[in-house]
Amino acid sequence: MPAKPSDPPRPTDAELEILTVLWSRGASTVRVVHEAIIRRKPTQYTTVLKMLQIMAEKGLVRRDEKQRAHIYSASRPAEWTRRQLAGDLLQRAFGGSARSLLLGALSSRRASRQELAELRQFLEEYEKGTP
Amino acid sequence: MNALALWVHTPVAQAVGWALIHFLWEGAALAAVLAAALFVLRPPSARVRYAAACLTLFAMPVAFAITLLVLLPGHTAETVTVVPVPNGVAQLSALPSLQAAPPGAGLNFRDLLPWLALCWFAGVAFFYARGMLAWFSARRLSCRGICAPPPGWQGRLTQLSDRLRLSRPARLLESCFTDAPVLVGYLRPVILMPLGCLASLPAGQIECILIHELAHIRRHDYLVNLLQGFVEGLLFYHPAVWWASRVAREERENCCDDCVVEITGDARVYASTLAALEHRRARALETAVAATGGNLMKRIRRLLTEPQPAQPTAAPGFAAGLLLVTCAAALAAWPAKPLARHAIPTVALQARLLESQTIEPQSSPLSSALRESQAARQGPSSFFGLVNFFSQSSTQAAPPQRKGGDETAQRPITTPYQKWLNEDVAYIITDEERAAFLRLQADEEREHFIEQFWLRRDPTPDTVENEFREEHYRRIAYANEHFASRIPGWKTDRGRIYITYGPPDEIEDHSSGGDYQRPASQGGGTTSTFPFQQWRYRYIEGIGNNVIIEFVDPTMTGEFRMTMDPSEKDELRYVHLSQPPAGQPNSAAPARTAKVFRSDQDHRITIATGGGPDAGKGATRLNTLIITPDPVAGQYHISAEVTTMGGQTVQVVAQNAQAELSGPFVEWLELPAGSYILRATITDPNRVSKSSETRFTVD
Repeated sequence: MPAKPSDPPRPTDAELEILTVLWSRGASTVRVVHEAIIRRKPTQYTTVLKMLQIMAEKGLVRRDEKQRAHIYSASRPAEWTRRQLAGDLLQRAFGGSARSLLLGALSSRRASRQELAELRQFLEEYEKGTP
Repeated sequence: MNALALWVHTPVAQAVGWALIHFLWEGAALAAVLAAALFVLRPPSARVRYAAACLTLFAMPVAFAITLLVLLPGHTAETVTVVPVPNGVAQLSALPSLQAAPPGAGLNFRDLLPWLALCWFAGVAFFYARGMLAWFSARRLSCRGICAPPPGWQGRLTQLSDRLRLSRPARLLESCFTDAPVLVGYLRPVILMPLGCLASLPAGQIECILIHELAHIRRHDYLVNLLQGFVEGLLFYHPAVWWASRVAREERENCCDDCVVEITGDARVYASTLAALEHRRARALETAVAATGGNLMKRIRRLLTEPQPAQPTAAPGFAAGLLLVTCAAALAAWPAKPLARHAIPTVALQARLLESQTIEPQSSPLSSALRESQAARQGPSSFFGLVNFFSQSSTQAAPPQRKGGDETAQRPITTPYQKWLNEDVAYIITDEERAAFLRLQADEEREHFIEQFWLRRDPTPDTVENEFREEHYRRIAYANEHFASRIPGWKTDRGRIYITYGPPDEIEDHSSGGDYQRPASQGGGTTSTFPFQQWRYRYIEGIGNNVIIEFVDPTMTGEFRMTMDPSEKDELRYVHLSQPPAGQPNSAAPARTAKVFRSDQDHRITIATGGGPDAGKGATRLNTLIITPDPVAGQYHISAEVTTMGGQTVQVVAQNAQAELSGPFVEWLELPAGSYILRATITDPNRVSKSSETRFTVD
């Protein structure tokens, strides 16, 4: 059970996917969510609609009923949910270990604030040096 | 326990123990060779250094294995003499190794060897278990908390893949679990972008990132990285292994960095991309302050300073040099394929455009887009706009005065002078003039300034008329009259170009969009590209000859935007079909959403809804597929099939069907609601085949 009664429960994988769409696209109609989902796997429109309704009941999403087409938005920011999921034991086990396998433009270690400041300074100086 | 005891006294255990010991110096020696090689190769290409590191790393297990093989038979005899085991099971049931050893030997080094081997096994098991976990979690990462990217990006990725000549297609997804762009998977690679990254970073920067990840795919880095994990786990106890592995990892990123610079030709954009990413990540996780960061600073320094591209003009030359080195370096991990590069008169163009960029914040994509069209003129490739990040951030490219100008542009115009500055001459005033004008206090001064401003530009100062000013105001009037949409005509992209460069020498107008009329017998209706126009200027001072600028109106609102992507008008990478309203006869309900997809320069594929050969009975469920070979003459062979997104065949539309002469090839499909992929191959009379893939949705 969540610590506070106002906090929504942990999303399931399917719910997480819908949340991801909402985080990515911002507040959207069911149609927009459905369009994003079907680009990965065939899903009925009604399935998405039903899921969004359930998620609204759970408090995972908010529903704006002012317009004719209801607009859904995620009730919590992505970072919040990510932290919530990080409490999940499975997620914790899986979270860190993948690092060594992933290839990315950035290294898996984060730069410190000081480094970031240095970086910015360096780029600025470089710019000044090159008319 | 018994099994352990038995094992300890087998010759194999001894041999493994010895091999482990021997590898201490072998590994050190190999590492020393690598260190020497790296020292000698200090300046040259990252590819060579990467190859050297990989070679060393993979030589290590080979050396270990050879040692083991050599020791195995030779050592057997010795082991037997040293540790005589009459009856292992009986004697050693309560065994620490020291007791098992003959008393005379004392703390015999050789008796420890089998235990060393055991510890080693345990370690290997641990590292391999960790590796498995990593592998599973990486897979999990690519299928949980993800969603498809905003429309258009997958298509762009495919274009970039083609440019990099990738055989394996990559999928692009947004993930809520990564905080930096990453590549996962080898056989079916997936590029995961952090949420919102695609929407918030400029397109040019995202392309840099995508190229970086695609370079990883092309270089088979994911596989190499896996193998690297195997070696690390196998010889985990030797620091040299970890060191060589780390060198390989670093140089691998450098190789991909080089690849990006080689293709985009601009190290600065890429460097700023990396910095922007890192800043993004830091902002996203304000709470987590990592102790010491990665090597980003080193990489950016290397990107910007190592080849000393003192001026942006040096960038193409630098990249060409890199290419030479690449070709020369046969050692590199994959056969270096030279990439088409062309010298773009970047600097002049940018400078010119920076001058004119004053009002709209989107002016920098504009400049890149113009450069883009310039590039497109010169060669078939280079379709990504290189958004000039620095024009927004640095003091060099965007002097503070301009910033001030932006602000005044935002404010409601209160005096005629502000209107003059921010509207009338916004595109032609220089920064110095703007700064000077803003410094003026009195209206008389301003009047005088304006007079001088026009006088300086008057081609015939002797006459009363100022042809320049007249022409300029004519252009503004023309722009407002012809290009206005949601925003005033002079503010649109077309307006800006028209006012700055005058009427184009040639306009190719497709602003009505549709270039394919479906005959009534096929259900009627019009299929269309997005409205677009191409403007050709024979010569623009400071930019070059034969500049073609393309404007597309993807929103169908009359607001044409300058485009970086020649294929933008063919926005049918993803087709959405809506059913005609129920109950209406098809003849009255023409195709509701129908667009044209150019598979390449020649053939057209149209998918549309509505109609059917027998329009009477619920034929609204039918979708039309029209393939129009071009030129429509001769015998074509067409194969087409519709599959699900998963690749399952739904319907084979045509199998080597003949399409004759004049008519397009028309086929009716009855598909339930869902998403599909249409794969079509058209073979022309000269037996040249062209294929295309179109995704579409029916609901």
